Amino acid sequence: MFTIGKLAGLTNVSNDTLRYYEHEGLITPTAKSAAGYRLYDQDSVRRIRFIKHAQRCGFTLAEIRDLLVLRGRDRACCGDIRTRAIEKKLQIENKIRAMRAMSKALDQLIAECANEKKPVKECTIIAALERANHSMPVQ
Amino acid sequence: MKVELFYSPGCSACLDRQAELRTAAREAIKDVEWREINVLHSLDHAVELGVITLPSIAIDGEVIFTSLPTVVQFRKALIERNRGGE
Repeated sequence: MFTIGKLAGLTNVSNDTLRYYEHEGLITPTAKSAAGYRLYDQDSVRRIRFIKHAQRCGFTLAEIRDLLVLRGRDRACCGDIRTRAIEKKLQIENKIRAMRAMSKALDQLIAECANEKKPVKECTIIAALERANHSMPVQ
Repeated sequence: MKVELFYSPGCSACLDRQAELRTAAREAIKDVEWREINVLHSLDHAVELGVITLPSIAIDGEVIFTSLPTVVQFRKALIERNRGGE
């Protein structure tokens, strides 16, 4: 059994993050010491490593909670997890697409601003952004 | 009218009602073009349409359902869009 400090050391996650994971229901202490400290078992170490790996793949904590539930469910199959991974990939590809469009829009603004020595009042980027403001509805 | 059902192989929710929806589409719209698309084989197309959850259904290039609808909901959506296009 590990105290929260020991668990933090084993997983390279801060105590505060571990408390947050606990608050979010991602890990649960399995026992309490005689002094009342929360104690965690080896499964918590595995869960935290799972969480960190899933975060690196883009999953949010809410999605990871869902994956952890599926992981422990007898009736769930690999196809259910795979579908979530495919959905995450679709979301990431959508974001990449949106960011490429933003980058392209910036390329155009940068190309239009040929003279960087002009005073800011004559800056073509500012002017272009103001023009865009006029043509777009206020959110 | 073109109906595209995006699915992932092995996804139990994707297989559920798929055949019923295909039949409903063929009954509701005479010249329906029904396509069942494995999202892994057409990822770019799915991203282009804005598919982010599976299964999803796009009608004439627009994602209308982000999970499988009931047959009644699906038939209603098809008929409404068909009327709009006439």
